[in-house]
Amino acid sequence: MISETRIMLEFADDPAQKTLETYRKNGGYQALEKALKEMKPGEVTEEVLKSGLRGRGGAGFPCGRKWQFVPKTDKPKYLAINADESEPGTCKDRQIMELDPHQLIEGALLTCYAIGAETAYIYVRGEYPHSIGALENAIEEARAAGIVGKKILGTKFRCDVWVHSGAGAYICGEETALLTSLEGNRGYPRLRPPFPAVEGLWGCPTVINNVETIACVTHIIKRGGDWFAGLGCEGSTGTRLFCVSGHVQKPGVYEFECGKFTLRELLEDFCGGTLSGRPIKGVMPGGSSMPVLLPEELDCQFDIDSVAKTGSSLGSGAIMVFDDSVSILDAALNVAEFYSHESCGQCTPCREGSDWVRKILKKFKDGNGTQRDWDVLWSVTDNMDGTTICALAEALVWPTQSYLKKYEAEFKAAMKSEAGATA
Amino acid sequence: MSAKAAREGKFSKELHATIEDLMTRYPQKKAALIPAMHLIQKEREGWFSRETIRDTAELFAVSDAHVQGVVGFYDMFHADPVGRHVVRLCKTLSCMLRGADALKDHICEKYDVEPGGTTDDGTFTFKRFECLGHCTTAPMMLVDEEKYEELTPSKIDAVLGGLS
Ligand SMILES: Cc1cc2nc3c(=O)[nH]c(=O)nc-3n(C[C@H](O)[C@H](O)[C@H](O)COP(=O)(O)O)c2cc1C
Ligand code: SF4
Ligand code: FES
Repeated sequence: MISETRIMLEFADDPAQKTLETYRKNGGYQALEKALKEMKPGEVTEEVLKSGLRGRGGAGFPCGRKWQFVPKTDKPKYLAINADESEPGTCKDRQIMELDPHQLIEGALLTCYAIGAETAYIYVRGEYPHSIGALENAIEEARAAGIVGKKILGTKFRCDVWVHSGAGAYICGEETALLTSLEGNRGYPRLRPPFPAVEGLWGCPTVINNVETIACVTHIIKRGGDWFAGLGCEGSTGTRLFCVSGHVQKPGVYEFECGKFTLRELLEDFCGGTLSGRPIKGVMPGGSSMPVLLPEELDCQFDIDSVAKTGSSLGSGAIMVFDDSVSILDAALNVAEFYSHESCGQCTPCREGSDWVRKILKKFKDGNGTQRDWDVLWSVTDNMDGTTICALAEALVWPTQSYLKKYEAEFKAAMKSEAGATA
Repeated sequence: MSAKAAREGKFSKELHATIEDLMTRYPQKKAALIPAMHLIQKEREGWFSRETIRDTAELFAVSDAHVQGVVGFYDMFHADPVGRHVVRLCKTLSCMLRGADALKDHICEKYDVEPGGTTDDGTFTFKRFECLGHCTTAPMMLVDEEKYEELTPSKIDAVLGGLS
């Protein structure tokens, strides 16, 4: 039987955990004290490397390795925490920010100490006023207590933490778009290299990490990299927050050690199966940008590398489930509408392609799709893959092609028989 | 703030002070633009008129076109007048699976408003929004800054019916 291992959510049920007093009573800011007084910055990074922590924003990049890309330079360095949380299905970072915000602030300070930064910005999507409020209150309390600002905990370390609100644009979760947006512009992604760790905010080295990644850092420094590495499984150490939504009995945000259960066990045993009792038709295992899994593909262990072997991805930890009452034409169109609305428009294949895909899928939904449309869907999506500045284009291509491939019969059955041109 | 002050291109003293303070958080004050624009929009009846765009641009020493571009890029900024409240109903997959489209129809019929439109009496502007990050308690909507989850038609009526 699967059960939760709560580390980030250990105290989430206590409404007082938001306050500095309770956070400290529960062991908060001990990690910071230990790091500032007993560890060199490099030792903090070493501990994170040892923990095996991989980024929780979707790509799973090793966290400590990213920090090591920051060059030795006299330029200021920055930490930008990605709290844009806009991948459909994902609502986990919000739990950290609203229920236990100090662990994020503590992680931010530890990360800044490790990389030599004196300023952290937490970029929170504008549609999260509650998260913004909770963080601002927590930062204010920490500042008043000498934990944020100058001479932190009586040491020479100084560091500011600021909340920065976005204004409703999914693309700003892409790390380079986040930077251009934070600088006061439309959120256009930039070509890499240069990578942000070398040239980020205002041309200075900038580390970008997801909220959950930074929250993990707090627990790693508090209890040790070896302890963290002993949780979960190889390649997916520690615990992770998963958001289960859609047609399940028990949707919710849960914290698990990876690699200890299969997706089927999670959905059928832990989440009580489908709401209607009808069979599962498909599962998006890592947000809407990842390929769908069929009911017969749910027996994989649920960790980054095992899910990758199915051809899909654990992505942002958002599991979206639909039962067999759902038309795949509706689901595919909904996903395409999202990405075409959110395309920033800089790259022609993404701007035009996403719009084209959306229009053709609408035709299919209306019963007007043709063989020609089917072929165009494949060629347009093929042409979007790998030809753009950022990965938003792929975020539409991957799920869409997976629907076409795995539910081909349903598309074909909805097709009009006579040949017709499109668009 | 009074209409006269708005015409003269001045923000309220309090807002001015808050924005000045925001600017100190960044090495370049332009970075405070988007956080400041939320506050500006609130003070200027919920949207960016040509005048408000000009005043904002002046305060930040950027071009009007830059501010206009930012207004157009971000879904939370409005280029046209809005009602006294803004209702944002999520339309994305998890909410769709939990019946968000029927809720949209309910709102449209009962309050005689189309997505993107405003009720005749100006009470609220109705928007369909992409994923609002409350997918495990879908379907959901934001009314101004308040959130409402696990929506049903009667829950929606209790909220929207109480707006003034
Ligand atoms: C289109 C797009 C949207 C993204 N949205 C988010 C997001 O909302 N939150 C997030 O943490 N990462 C998001 N990412 C991933 C970030 O680019 C980046 O990899 C991540 O923030 C790095 O943090 P991590 O290494 O701690 O995971 C997105 C990526 C793409 C391509
Ligand atoms: S791929 Fe799409 S979202 Fe990304 S930069 Fe190009 S147009 Fe913008
Ligand atoms: S899909 Fe509606 S809140 Fe995420």
